[in-house]
Amino acid sequence: MKTINHKTPSVDGKGIMMGRPAFTDDLAEPNSLIVKVLRSPHAFARITKIDTSRARALTGVEIVLTYHDVPRNSFTRAGQGYPEPSPHDKFILDEYVRYVGDEVACVAATSEVIAEKALKLIEVEYEVLEPVLDFESAYQNKNVIHPEDGIREMFPIGFDPKKNVAASYEMHIGDVEQILSKCDVVVDETFYTQAQAHAMLEPHTANARLDYHNRLVMYSSTQTPFHMRRIISQTLELPISKIRLIKPRVGGGFGGKQAMHCEFFVALVTLRTKKPSKMVYTRQEVFESSYTRHPMRIQMRLGAMRDGTLKAIDCHSLSDTGAYGEHALTVFMITGSKVLPLYNKVDAVRFDGRVVYTNHVSAGAFRGYGAIQGNFALESAIDILASKLKMDPLELRRNNMMEEGETSPIFAIMGEGTAGTAMNMDSCKLRYCLDRGAELIGWKDKYPRVQVGPHKVRSVGMAIAMQGSGIPYIDMASATIKLNDDGFYNLMVGATDIGQGSDTVLTQIAAETLMIGVDKVIIYSSDTDLTPFDTGAYASSTTYVSGNAVLKAAKSMKRMLIEEAAHFLEVPVGDIDFDGLKFTAGDKAITLSDMSNKLYYNENQHQLSATESYVGHKSPPPFMAGYVEIELDTETGEYAVLDYVSVVDCGTTLNPMLARGQVEGGIVQGIGMACFEDVKYGTRGKLTSNSFLYYKIPTMLDVKKLTTEFAESYEESGPYGAKSVGEIGIDTPPAAIANAVANAVGVRIAKLPVTPEKIFRGMMLNK
Amino acid sequence: MEVNRYYRPSTLEEAHQTLLQDPKNVLLGGGLWIKKSTPSANVLVDLTAIGLNQIRDLGDRIEVGAMVTQRDFELNPLVRDIDGGILSGAVGQIMGVAFRQLATIGGSIAGRFPFSDVLTPLSALDVTLIFYPHKEISLAEHLNFKGRSSDILTHVIIKKAHGRGYFKKVKTTAMEFAILNIAITLDEGRYRIAIGSRPSAASLAVGAMEIVNEAKKPSISDFERASEKAVEEFLYATTTFAGADYRKALAKAYVRRGLEEVSKR
Amino acid sequence: MKVQFVLNNRHVAFEVDPGEYLADTLRANHVTSVKKACDESACGACTVLLDGRPVLSCSLLTARVEGRSVTTVEAIQDEVDKISDYFGEEGADQCGFCNTGLALTIYALKRELVNPTDEDIKKFVVGNLCRCSGYQAQFKAIKHYLEDSR
Repeated sequence: MKTINHKTPSVDGKGIMMGRPAFTDDLAEPNSLIVKVLRSPHAFARITKIDTSRARALTGVEIVLTYHDVPRNSFTRAGQGYPEPSPHDKFILDEYVRYVGDEVACVAATSEVIAEKALKLIEVEYEVLEPVLDFESAYQNKNVIHPEDGIREMFPIGFDPKKNVAASYEMHIGDVEQILSKCDVVVDETFYTQAQAHAMLEPHTANARLDYHNRLVMYSSTQTPFHMRRIISQTLELPISKIRLIKPRVGGGFGGKQAMHCEFFVALVTLRTKKPSKMVYTRQEVFESSYTRHPMRIQMRLGAMRDGTLKAIDCHSLSDTGAYGEHALTVFMITGSKVLPLYNKVDAVRFDGRVVYTNHVSAGAFRGYGAIQGNFALESAIDILASKLKMDPLELRRNNMMEEGETSPIFAIMGEGTAGTAMNMDSCKLRYCLDRGAELIGWKDKYPRVQVGPHKVRSVGMAIAMQGSGIPYIDMASATIKLNDDGFYNLMVGATDIGQGSDTVLTQIAAETLMIGVDKVIIYSSDTDLTPFDTGAYASSTTYVSGNAVLKAAKSMKRMLIEEAAHFLEVPVGDIDFDGLKFTAGDKAITLSDMSNKLYYNENQHQLSATESYVGHKSPPPFMAGYVEIELDTETGEYAVLDYVSVVDCGTTLNPMLARGQVEGGIVQGIGMACFEDVKYGTRGKLTSNSFLYYKIPTMLDVKKLTTEFAESYEESGPYGAKSVGEIGIDTPPAAIANAVANAVGVRIAKLPVTPEKIFRGMMLNK
Repeated sequence: MEVNRYYRPSTLEEAHQTLLQDPKNVLLGGGLWIKKSTPSANVLVDLTAIGLNQIRDLGDRIEVGAMVTQRDFELNPLVRDIDGGILSGAVGQIMGVAFRQLATIGGSIAGRFPFSDVLTPLSALDVTLIFYPHKEISLAEHLNFKGRSSDILTHVIIKKAHGRGYFKKVKTTAMEFAILNIAITLDEGRYRIAIGSRPSAASLAVGAMEIVNEAKKPSISDFERASEKAVEEFLYATTTFAGADYRKALAKAYVRRGLEEVSKR
Repeated sequence: MKVQFVLNNRHVAFEVDPGEYLADTLRANHVTSVKKACDESACGACTVLLDGRPVLSCSLLTARVEGRSVTTVEAIQDEVDKISDYFGEEGADQCGFCNTGLALTIYALKRELVNPTDEDIKKFVVGNLCRCSGYQAQFKAIKHYLEDSR
C-alpha cells in the first residue's frame, strides 16, 4: 500500500488554517439580505394574532413572513433515506409554537441591526398553553403537543400524536420472562441519560441566491445536501431541477446538522425577493433552536446463572424527542440494535418502548445515535451483574460477548426503522480489544481501586461497544472519476466531509487504486449539480459506503485506461502493465500523461470518465473496548480522568492519524457527556444552558491523557478492509466512568452526568 | 452593541462629567461583561488614553491602574511576589489568554461579580481602592456597598506581603465559573480566609479566622474547627450548578486543606 | 465613525458603528479567516493579535483599535504554512473552524513563552476550544512545532 494505512496529511487542512474562504458564511454574497427569526418565548402556545405591518414598514426591511405567508405542507427536517422513518410533523411556520425558541416569523433586511429592530416590531398575541416538560408524564398527557391536521408518518412507526407519541417499537426473541424466572441472579436497574448539545464550533448557517438560470442556488452547513434539496423541493413545491445545494467546508456537525435548520428561510426570502440572503444562527439559537441528543430512561434487566452465563436481556426505554420527531424512531431503535448484540448468546432478549413528544428543544441525531445511551445502561448493568456474581467484570464479558464469525438474531430484526439485515461478524476483534485495553491501563494492578492518599483513591472502569458502517440497502453513494490532460484525475463524490476527513480518505482510496500520488487526485464533493448522489455523512457511512463507491469507480477507470493504452500501443489488453504512471507492453510504452494529452487533443479524442455506485448489503460493526483510570477525592467527590485507553477494531485504518482523531474526538465528547455536559431547563421550559458560559464542553486542560490503539483487522466487504470509525469513539465513556466511580467508592450513578456532587451524596448515603 | 457615541477622553474629569450627564453613559472596562449585560448605551466612555494601565512599585505597596489587563496583572513580577503568587495563580485560571488580554482588573472589581476569581484572593489581602473624584475605601467596604455610583475606580493599592497564599477554585472544566472559591493567606502569623461564589461574593470568614488566629500554635484540630466555623458563618445557597449542602462540604474540606497548606514549614 | 489602524501590515481606515466589534468589521472587509463561533467571549475561535498579543475580536470594539496593529493569519502565511504541516502530521486538523484562531495563539505562544512545559502550553491555548479533535493531536502538533523551532 502506498497511501492506505499510511500517514497522509489531510488535503484541506493547510488551506483552511491559512485562512482561505471555505465555510458557508465565507461564501455568502456580500450584499445578502440578513435573515432573522422571531422565536417563541413560550414553551407551548398558539398564535392568536400576529401583526407584521410595523415591521414591514421599517426602512431596510424587504420581507416579513408568518405562517400565513408560507406553504402549508408538513415535512420532517430529518435528513434520512426517503421515505423517511421520521414523522412529517413540521411546517415551515405554524400557528402553534412548541418550545421556547420555536420559529414564529421571519424577517429579511439590509442589515443585521435593521433585522433585529424589525423583529421587535412584530406584534404577537399568544394563547399560552400548558407545556409538557416532563417526558415521563408525556404519554397520554391531556396537553397534546401536535393536535393539528396534516401531519403523518411515512410508513408505520407507531406515530400516535394524540397520545404525544412520535414513534414506538417492540421486538423480542424467545420468552424473556420465562428465562429470567429461571436465572440464579437478576439485575434490574433503571438508567437516565441526559440531553447533550453538539456544540460544534460553526453555528448553523445557510445562504441563497438566484443564478443566471434563475435557479435557486444555496450553500448550507449541512450533513445531507441531497436530502435537503429533496425536502425543500417537496415542501416549497418547486421542481428539484430548480434547486442547487452546495455543502462547502462545515465546522463540525456530529449529527446536529443532519436535519434542516435555516435553509427554508433563506430559500423563501430569496425566491420571493429575488435577492441573495443569508442567515447565521447565534450561539444561543444553536443551543435553543437547533437539536439536542435524545434524553432517555432505560430499564435494563439482566438474567444470569451463577457460572456467569448471561441468559436474558430485557430492555424497556422511553425517549424524549422534544417538540418535533426528527430521528425519533431510528435513534430509539439503535439504542437496542447497536448495543444488545454485544451479548449475542443469550436465550432471550426483548427491546421495546416509545418516543414521546414534549415541549423541549427538538432532539435529533447525535454521534452514537442511541448507542451511547443504550451502552451506558447495558455496560453499567453488566458491571452490577459482575459485582453480584462476585466475578471480574472482564471475565463476565469474555464469557458472553460477541466473537468473530458469530452473529446475533437482532441484526435481521432491527434495521433503519424497519426490518434489518442478517450478517455475520466477518471481522470482530473485540476479544483482542478487551485484553489489550486491560494491559494498557494496567487493570490487574489497579482494579478495583488503589488508595493513593488520605483522601485520594484511583480506580479503573471499562466498557465495550459496537456501532455500524452505514445502513444496508438504504444508504447509496456514488463517485465519478474523470481523467484530465497531463494525467491527473478529478474525483467527484456526493459524500459529505464535515470535518471528519472524508475528502482525504476518499482521495486516498482513489489514489491507491489508480497507483498515483494523492496530489494527482483532486476531489470535489457535495454539490447536487456537479457531484453524483450520496445520502450524506451519518450512520458512519462515508468510509464504508462512499469509500466502496470510490473504489469501484477507480477500478472502472483503471480498466478504461488499460483498454485505451492497449488501443494506443496496438497490443491486446492482457499484455498491458500499468504502474499508475506508465503503460508498458514488452518494449512499447506510453505514459499516462502523454496518453491523456493525446486523448484530449490528438487521437481518438474522448473523455474518460467512470461513475459507480454502491449500496451496502451489511453494516459491519466497528468494535472497541474503552478503559478509564480516574483519581477521586473521597472527601468532595471530585474526580479527574487520568487516562482513557481505547482499543478499536475498525478494520483497516485507511488514514491512521485521521482515524485516531475520530476516536479521540469521540472519546472526549463521550467524556463530556459522562462527566458534566447537561442541557438544563428552567421551570417554564426555557434553556438555562443556552450559552458557552453555562454549557461546558471539555477543554485541553481537562483531557490529561488519551491512549489509542487499533486492532489488526480486515473487513472483506469494506474498501481495502475498512469499516467505520466515526461514531464508535463516543459510546464507552459514560459506562466506563460510572463503573470506575463504583469501583472507587461503591457509589453507583445511574443518572448522567456523573457529577462530583452526585458522588458526594452517594458517599454520604453509604455512610 | 447599540451605541450612539464612542468617546475616549484624555482626563478623568472629562470622563466623570460624561458619566454624570446621562445614566445611559457607561464606562468601558475590558468590554467583555458589558457585551452581555448592556445591549445599548448612549456614550461609551473609554479610559484607555488616561494612563491607568500601569503597575507601580510604591515601596511597601503596589499600585495597579484600573485599566491594567488581567493578563498583564498575572505576569507582573511585583504581583507574582505577593504571598507566593496567590494573585497570579488565581487570575491565571480565568478563561483563556485572549480573554484576559482584554479583561481589566478595574472591571473585575467594579463589577463585584460573585463568582469572581479576582475578588476572592484580593479579599484575603490588604487592598485599598482609589476612586475619582475623591474616595479611598477598602475592598471590603466596596463589596458591601449596595448602590450605584458614577465614581470611577482608578487605582487598586495592594500592600506587599511575603507570606504564604492558597487559592482554590472549585470547578469541573478549566473554563467555567467557580461553584466555590477560597483564598487563604498567612502573613506574619496572621491568617485571612476569604470565601466567594457561595454563590454570593467574596467575604472574610471572620469566625474561622478568629479560631486560627487566637491559637498560639494552630494545630490540625484548630484547622478543622475553623473550617467548620467557615461553613456555619456563611450562607451557602443552591444554584443550578451546585447544592447548598455540597458547597458546605467543599468549603469545609478546602478551608481545612488551605490552612494546612499555608501552615506547612 | 472612522477608525484607522494597521491591519496585516497595511494602513486601513474603516467606517464603523461606535458599537461595532472587530470580528464583524474584519469579516465585512473580506478577512474571512476570522471566525465567529460563539460571539460571547467564550471559545477563542475569533482570536486575532493586537500589537502581537492574542485577543478575542468578537469582544473588542473596533473603535478601540485606533492607532494599533491587528494581525490575522493572512499576514503570517509562511509560519501558518509550517504550523499546518505539524497539524497534518498528527491528524490534528478536522473541521478546521478553530484553526485560524488557534494558529495565531500558537504564533503568540512561541514568542511569549520561553521553554514552556507541557502544562504551560496547555494553559496558553486552553482558551481555543475544539469540539472535533479531543485536543491530544493538537497538543502534540504544537509541542513538536515549538521543539523544532528552537
